[in-house]
Amino acid sequence: MSGHSANIPALRQLLAARFPTAVRAPASVFPVGWPALDEALGGLPKGALTEVICAAPSCGGQLLLGQLLRQTRAQNVRVALIDAHDAFDPCSWPPDWLAHLVWVRARTVGDAMQVADLFARDANLGLVVLDLRHATERELQRIPATQWYRLQRAVEQSNAPFVVKTPLARVPSAQLRFVLEGSHSLRTDSAPRLDLMGQLPFVPQRQRRQANVG
Amino acid sequence: MWDERVCRFILGHFPRPMFAVLHLADFPLQALLRTRADLDRQPVALLGDARREAPVIACNPLARSAGVELGLTGPQALARCAGLTLCLSVPTAEADAQAALLSVAFSLSPTVEATSPGVVTLDVSGHRADERESRLCGAMPRLVALGLQATVGLAATPLLAQYAARLAEPFLAVENHRTFLAPLPLATADPPAAVWPILTGWGLRTLGDLTDLSKADIAQRLGPAGLALWERAAGQTNRPLHPVVPAHSFSASYETEHEFETIEPILFVLRRFVDRLALDLANAALAAAALTLTLTCTDETTPSRRIRLPEPSTSADIFFRTLYTWLESLRTDNAIKRLHLEIEPVRALVRQQGLFDNTLVDAHGFADTLARATAIVGSGRVGTPFLEDSHRPDAFTLAAPADTLSPIEPTAPFWLRGLSLRRFRPPLPAHVALTGASPSSVWTNELHAVVAVAHGPYRISGDWWERAREWERDEWDVELVDGGVYRLVHETPAKAWYVEGEYD
Repeated sequence: MSGHSANIPALRQLLAARFPTAVRAPASVFPVGWPALDEALGGLPKGALTEVICAAPSCGGQLLLGQLLRQTRAQNVRVALIDAHDAFDPCSWPPDWLAHLVWVRARTVGDAMQVADLFARDANLGLVVLDLRHATERELQRIPATQWYRLQRAVEQSNAPFVVKTPLARVPSAQLRFVLEGSHSLRTDSAPRLDLMGQLPFVPQRQRRQANVG
Repeated sequence: MWDERVCRFILGHFPRPMFAVLHLADFPLQALLRTRADLDRQPVALLGDARREAPVIACNPLARSAGVELGLTGPQALARCAGLTLCLSVPTAEADAQAALLSVAFSLSPTVEATSPGVVTLDVSGHRADERESRLCGAMPRLVALGLQATVGLAATPLLAQYAARLAEPFLAVENHRTFLAPLPLATADPPAAVWPILTGWGLRTLGDLTDLSKADIAQRLGPAGLALWERAAGQTNRPLHPVVPAHSFSASYETEHEFETIEPILFVLRRFVDRLALDLANAALAAAALTLTLTCTDETTPSRRIRLPEPSTSADIFFRTLYTWLESLRTDNAIKRLHLEIEPVRALVRQQGLFDNTLVDAHGFADTLARATAIVGSGRVGTPFLEDSHRPDAFTLAAPADTLSPIEPTAPFWLRGLSLRRFRPPLPAHVALTGASPSSVWTNELHAVVAVAHGPYRISGDWWERAREWERDEWDVELVDGGVYRLVHETPAKAWYVEGEYD
């Protein structure tokens, strides 16, 4: 396996040399202050969909969201959270981390997807998060693949990272996909939240584009 | 001799009076057609009134090519052209068309006279002589964008300019009034009905025929009416303009018997409104702060909405997009018969942001995105959360996102510990088995699990001083054997258990 992995960059270089128009330029990334991700890829790819699979209960999906809120606030860019099941708890976070947040409290996955299509095209947003964590498999299956590709095309124009949180892999156009595995235990309730954020494990499943910090 | 040279020099530097006339042929018909997208590329004739024997007073080229003529009655016109649409004039459409014509005129000159419906006269003496034609012709696309086809006449007197505008295709400048007037038919000078048969009896056909006769002889035989006609025919009539004052209010209305049942025709009319009002605002060097659209339904209900723009604007596209977003989400039980749009003018803001502030890249686009999102998920469900000064669980309000983000304050100590909550809204009703006082297993529609570890109870209460808002609860943090940490709530007064959320 490791031999195959080593060949992939060489293969990419070969393809880029032979078909320069077919190979996209390395994507710029948005560092999120999560050491595991930033060290591996530099951050979230801009102008691309990133799928975060929250595979287990209490796996740290909201911790990651909190880290994104913190980082975007520090960089003073707006962030939109499209909350398909109205699950975000603002009282869990310091008020200053919410000043730049546009929270959409959707009622259905269909509504959330419509709003996502709007927000993906808005140039004022530095990050968009679509939270489908509580969506059932049936609801996710109802979203046609074309809608995800349409979203990808829209995001490419805005050049903002677009994060989709799902319970299982369902975003075919995701450029980056990683899994948050393993449930936290109740023992963590006394650990500083910043430490918990930093300790989240990064388990990539897919990376379609070479990242380039910038 | 010296005095004469000085006078000639001074007079030579005064601009020669020049007037332009913008003329809309078949004005009532143009006014109607610019508000009716459904009549595009159809033969249309306009009747004088609602009587059966009312004559056709105007028709479009398609109707004319099908044999429809002015003066025919409605049934006669229909006999010649079966696909003909017969319409009555719409006063509100004419008012808006006249306002649109004046808007374009004010963009050309500050001295504008509303001579008659569909005719405005402008004093263009201040324009450089070599620029007049290009400026006047440059106004044509603006009129076309407003749904109007105009012709322009340019001459030394308002009357000559009006004659020229009637004949222009689409622009005509009168260099020599004698050679211009001589071949024109007598009807051009609007002869009085009493004089007309006498002139034709004399064999006069053109204005030149009339002015070949002596002015004194005409005055002697035909009196003051004849004298005025001769002067008009000779181009000797001059008059001062009666300038109109530009509108101080920016509004537009449309009412018709043709009711609106779908959004498309409403949008078509609104596009005309906003194009014209944007031009009015630009002429007045103002911007719009808010738009108020009022619709009147056939049952006399009046849905209305005042939409404040994120920042003052003169862009018709922004006005239209804003109105469109609202109309998309509007449902009425009855058709709409009247539209009224009002714009609140304001001086454009001049401001300077802080060096590190983050303003919106596209404020109008952002407002539009939020409005569309609100239309999808419902009002009160889009915005920035602000925490309430209360210990009541889930106490927050949503407010409109700020236009400007100030840099973050120096970081306060981050005191939060443990995982954050991910709420179930509404909380999941649960059955909880207790071992002693502590939860040992939980059943909901989605969860059936044994509790591995439970921390609690955390008893909290509040608003005890206000009986209607009083609350009290015991909270338990539980870790399930299957994995996952949840918050259980025991509502003490109701003795009911809920799963309020998942720690995530």
